[in-house]
Amino acid sequence: MSSDELIVPPDVVYVTYIKASSERIWDALTSSEMAGKMFFGVTAESDWTQGAQWVYFRDGVKDVHGEVLISDKPRKLKLSWRVGGSPEMSAIPPAFITYDIEPVGDVTRLTMTQHQPKPIPRKFYEGGLRGWPVIMSILKSVLETGEGFVVTMEPPK
Amino acid sequence: MSKSRFFYVTYIRTSPEKLWQALTAPEFTRQYWGGVHQESDWKVGGDWKLMIPDGRVGDSGKIIEIDPPRKLVVTWENQFMPELKAEGPSRMTFLIEPRDEHVVKLTLTHEMDRPDSKLIEGVGAGWPELLASMKSLVETGAAFPGDDKWPEGV
Repeated sequence: MSSDELIVPPDVVYVTYIKASSERIWDALTSSEMAGKMFFGVTAESDWTQGAQWVYFRDGVKDVHGEVLISDKPRKLKLSWRVGGSPEMSAIPPAFITYDIEPVGDVTRLTMTQHQPKPIPRKFYEGGLRGWPVIMSILKSVLETGEGFVVTMEPPK
Repeated sequence: MSKSRFFYVTYIRTSPEKLWQALTAPEFTRQYWGGVHQESDWKVGGDWKLMIPDGRVGDSGKIIEIDPPRKLVVTWENQFMPELKAEGPSRMTFLIEPRDEHVVKLTLTHEMDRPDSKLIEGVGAGWPELLASMKSLVETGAAFPGDDKWPEGV
């Protein structure tokens, strides 16, 4: 199986539990400072209201971006997710990212679902599968300890 | 034969040695894993038991592979719910890999050689909370409130 083979991938779902309120998690997901920690150096721009555009800039250049499709603070944030960067990356059809935030007892469950309805090269699906556990683990650490960490990721091969 | 499989990855700011302790030592597992502890001689071929605080054996099996602080593979058969016990043994793997400085990757795989396993469905629903509570314990010194107690009536 080539990593360039086109597939309509299954949803990538990642569930974690965080010792923080729904509001703090929402604020983190929509904060430029937190985006910089989760996505290693980006800055975020959006007012995160329904219908708004959102952009992650990397070194001043538009990187990942899309539209805010659902903004139900502090429960659900759904974004269209278009990758920027190289022409090969920009040609990937947009994915849909949904964050569901639910209080469970004394903690809060955060579920990230990445849905890709169109065929994409397998390597980009595998990149998401590898990347989301890193991103969500950093978010949890920052909210609970004030400190994140860096994990060096290789680009999709 | 199709399989049932649960797969989960989390990254923790710690060392492989401390993560190994958190996953195997009774004084740690009791804090985030419903008060349970594991009983084993931690040698290949030896018995492995997950002990419920009231003295019942929750799950049991054998150590298939052990390489502290890198890898643990056990067979895992439920002992306290007849419907799950009837499915026979599953196999659980912890893989611990150091990544960047002070960051460790934990990969959990829990699988069974049968389709639509209720045991895998059950542990799959439980592992993300359990490992999140364990990550909090390792990074902050405290697991989630109440995770040191076995749920009543189970």
